Amino acid sequence: MIQARQPNRLLSMRGALPSMQELVLIVLLLGLCGMAYHLSPDFLGPRAQIMLSTHVWELALLALPMTLIILTGGIDLSIGSTMALSAVVFGLCFKAHLPIGAGISLALLVGAVAGALNGIFVAYVKVHPLIVTLATLAAYRGVAEGISLGQPVSGFPDAFTQLSLGTVGPVPIPAVIFAVAIVIIGLVMARTPVGLWLSAIGYNETAAEFSGIAVRRIKLLLYTASGLMASMAGLLFVARRNTAKADIGTGMELAVITAVVLGGSSIFGGRGRLFGTMLGILLIHEMREFLSWQWNRDEITLVVIGVLLILSVLMDSLLSAKKR
Amino acid sequence: MTIPFLHITGLTKTYGGVHALSGVDLDIMPGGIHALMGENGAGKSTFIKCLAGVVKPDQGEIRIDGSSIVTGDIRASEAAGIVAMHQESTAFAHLDAVDNIFVGRELKRTLGFLDRAGMERETRELMDRLGETFDIKRPLQELSLAQRQMVGMARALSHKSRLLIMDEPTASLSARETEALFRVMRQLQSEGVAILYISHRLEEVFELADRVTVLRDGRHIKTCDIGDVDREGLIRLMVGRDMLVEDRPGREASDTPVVLDVDGLTLAGVFRDISFQVRAGEIVGLSGLVGAGRSELANAIFGIDRADSGTVTVDGKTLPPGSVQRAIDRGVALVPEDRQHQGLVLPLPVSSNLLLSVLGSPKLGPLRSARKEGGIVDELIRDLAVKTASASVPANTLSGGNQQKLAIGKWLAMGPRILILDEPTRGVDVGAKAEVYRVIRRLAAEGMATLIISSDLPEVLALSDRILVMRQGEIAGELSHGEATEEKILALALPLEVAAI
Amino acid sequence: MTTATKTQPMTKPLAASNFVALFRRREYGVLALLLITLFSVGAVNPAFLAAGNLRDILVAATPAIIVGCGLTFVVLMGEIDISMGASMGVLATVMGQLTSPAHAHLPVAEGIALTLALGSLIGLTNGLLVAYGRMPSIIVTLGMMTILQGVNVILMNGHWITDMPPGLRWFGLGRVIGIPVSLWIAALVVIASIILARDTPLGRRIYASGSNPSAAALTGLPVRSLKLFVFTLTGLLTAVATVVSVPLLSVIEPGVGSGFELLAVTCVVVGGTSISGGKGTIAGTLLAALLLSVVRPTLVFLKLGPSASYWERAIQGAFILAAVLLDHVARSHRRKADA
Repeated sequence: MIQARQPNRLLSMRGALPSMQELVLIVLLLGLCGMAYHLSPDFLGPRAQIMLSTHVWELALLALPMTLIILTGGIDLSIGSTMALSAVVFGLCFKAHLPIGAGISLALLVGAVAGALNGIFVAYVKVHPLIVTLATLAAYRGVAEGISLGQPVSGFPDAFTQLSLGTVGPVPIPAVIFAVAIVIIGLVMARTPVGLWLSAIGYNETAAEFSGIAVRRIKLLLYTASGLMASMAGLLFVARRNTAKADIGTGMELAVITAVVLGGSSIFGGRGRLFGTMLGILLIHEMREFLSWQWNRDEITLVVIGVLLILSVLMDSLLSAKKR
Repeated sequence: MTIPFLHITGLTKTYGGVHALSGVDLDIMPGGIHALMGENGAGKSTFIKCLAGVVKPDQGEIRIDGSSIVTGDIRASEAAGIVAMHQESTAFAHLDAVDNIFVGRELKRTLGFLDRAGMERETRELMDRLGETFDIKRPLQELSLAQRQMVGMARALSHKSRLLIMDEPTASLSARETEALFRVMRQLQSEGVAILYISHRLEEVFELADRVTVLRDGRHIKTCDIGDVDREGLIRLMVGRDMLVEDRPGREASDTPVVLDVDGLTLAGVFRDISFQVRAGEIVGLSGLVGAGRSELANAIFGIDRADSGTVTVDGKTLPPGSVQRAIDRGVALVPEDRQHQGLVLPLPVSSNLLLSVLGSPKLGPLRSARKEGGIVDELIRDLAVKTASASVPANTLSGGNQQKLAIGKWLAMGPRILILDEPTRGVDVGAKAEVYRVIRRLAAEGMATLIISSDLPEVLALSDRILVMRQGEIAGELSHGEATEEKILALALPLEVAAI
Repeated sequence: MTTATKTQPMTKPLAASNFVALFRRREYGVLALLLITLFSVGAVNPAFLAAGNLRDILVAATPAIIVGCGLTFVVLMGEIDISMGASMGVLATVMGQLTSPAHAHLPVAEGIALTLALGSLIGLTNGLLVAYGRMPSIIVTLGMMTILQGVNVILMNGHWITDMPPGLRWFGLGRVIGIPVSLWIAALVVIASIILARDTPLGRRIYASGSNPSAAALTGLPVRSLKLFVFTLTGLLTAVATVVSVPLLSVIEPGVGSGFELLAVTCVVVGGTSISGGKGTIAGTLLAALLLSVVRPTLVFLKLGPSASYWERAIQGAFILAAVLLDHVARSHRRKADA
């Protein structure tokens, strides 16, 4: 009798053994820890780590929907701009003396609508996601610049900035928000058919359609969720820096996509794990912080990350070419 | 008596364990029109692809004037004088006629610049020879199909070819365009160009060809002068093989409820006014040539494509057109023709493929359950006798036959009301075929309404209680199990006289 | 073997429909939009059409025009390159450091030659990874962009360059027969690109490879070499664009070139080049570059207030969306006419 194993170990968050790619990342992380221990052990201490990690939660939040989008073979370059747009909207609401709650709701709504617009173009007008999100990357940031006139808004009340500074016990609130998000998404991926559907769409969209999977609706939801997360990340940024400006989030999309691909997701779709993405984020974050901490040179991070990205995809590409 | 200039010996090509061509030998005379006939899957397309260099045969030799040419290389074939008329897949849609003819062997001026004037002149000359006057500077995708074929002809001519290969060139042409094409072919013949010409149209073959070759199941059956054979003889040569599946009396199922009712279904340019019914426990076969519109019909019933008019009813309730989810909810299941690109997600594990449609459906609910899913997967694997190392290996490790079982199995998990199978045993080895037939019969005995689209005539004859034959987008006729024979099916499926269109 | 129903067969010719005919050739639509904009703004504020202002608009468009030519070939082959912005930053830094008296103080000609070589090298690397490493170009150029951003900061080492020698500045500010050097060079690049596209075997093969990659391979076209060529060309042209635009700045700092890749891709896509390859023209890219370069002055000259110029980027994005929507409309029009 053939035993059917639990389907989709590949996609569940708490999965089976780490993949080859993830192992490499773990090794690199350990190597980094080793180097840090040797040169400056304080870096590894909890106080330093917590202090340095205030901004990583925005990146981590954005990486969740991006992993799913890349899993379906798509991409979203507009997340940084959506962050900025939501932040600016929030800032303007505050300036207009609207209650904070209204501002937050409007900002989140803007993010969701921005994502939905992407989704409509990708799923229904059937334009390549690269082009759509490249256009909205410009458009959304442009609108943010336009309605804010380049002026920052600051001076938010403590009740709001607590969103970033506050803690639940020893854990910063942004970390809690992220934890909730990843648990929800992870559960949905592992315990519902969604994980398999996304993978099927990424590997073979036609076959997914022929199987009755609601491809267009799923894509619309994904991009909308991405926009929503981006607006959440934008709000966290505003809370952290106490300023809402149109230029925040530039370059975010690159870091997030790099983390996802580094983490083992295939850019073509079908294969990917939240766990791998998180390792990617962790590696990028720790590397950047350590370089800053030790030598005040975090531009080297950019080079290392770029090289890692190319090497990992190159290896993947050559290996699968051999299989063919 | 002329001697052949082109000798083909022992041409063999296997795709995944199935022989598309088995040791085909053929000689072609210079300056003659040689027709290549056979039913779907006989190996005609594979044969000419090998000749043209598009596909590399596993074995065999092609010799022109005594010297062997390199196979699997278009340039080598073209250099030897064998040119195939452009198909959709080998044409450059965005480029114009001039570029399509000359790309890769462009005429040059000084300093390596294109000699556009020269190429345009030559193109225009070729077009004049063919009697065509359209603008040669328009991109191919803006031209009509007939005009595109003329570009393909011109390209072949410009190669100064000795053998021109054409694959069903008149398939979508009007009567007038067909006449123009024939004129050109005869003209070429008079210039000493040999033509190898695949066609299903018997009347055309008798009108044009000097010699005819019949392939069946990848084997060469017979080659003779056209005068030595008649229409019935040709049909008989094309069909007629050992029965793979034993015959059983068809059921006269008029007492069971109608499950699928198609009424007046029309999709402009593809199929017209299709009406038929399938009852519970009945197996209806849908026969016809490639291009008759069968798969498109199945896709429209299933909701992948949207028909222009007409209705599809399942168990008395009309299906909203164009919605796959609704069709599945009401119990329609389609095992598509192309299992690699439509039926399965090959990189995913066997279990995932089997569960792909049933997950999330009311049957299993919104949450996953390893226990329930494992049970379904195990049962399906056992029921269909799928040979696989385990349920978690990727589906692409399975043989074609076992993959096909997966493609069918994933729908059985849904418990459908009507099962539509499009070419269920294409690329499937003999053993697996028998198993698939067994499953189909058992399902029918249990009350499943089944529609089988198949080009495999013995298969259709043995399995079906009734056979519908489609021809050029319409239902040409219906045969009951008792009265159907391969000859009758083919006679209904073949296009009518050119003049009658 | 039947083709899968989902494949779109080649379509039958369009029934004559004037509205769609205008947009059948995207280039005409862009030209029309450009002319309409120029004359509308000119009507409101005649100073807009002054020779000096038009010349400034052209000069501002030259980097996008020059790089757009190279990028058009890349997209024609079905690939993409988003590393040009970061590339320009590094090239600017290198060019400045090589020629500035405070640094290497090489002769300007040598400095420029080395810059061009470096630009080509960057493009060559991209091309090798895409063509021979078989990597998706979005990833290669994304990685390259990141690497170059880091390299730029490292090279600059905190010292911004403010002393570009006059020989270098001539490329940005100098004139020949009253016309700025950059315009001459841009014109040269455009003409050469058009000739390459229409009059050389290389050009036709690029179009063919983009139109039907598998057929191109089967016909024996050297697809990988072609890809290598177009990426290297783009790298070289990025260097050329750097040479003619950076000397206009007063200081070379790490932000140089930031966002440029977006502008270049916008020009190519809005200009009518299809992202799936095989279709597009240099002329279209040129017109789109001019159109986009007109946006900011339009906002200024229409005296819409100080806030107006902030909308420039938004308009760029809107242009791309409009372009793809038009494509979609034209596609479904063609499909309906088909049946």
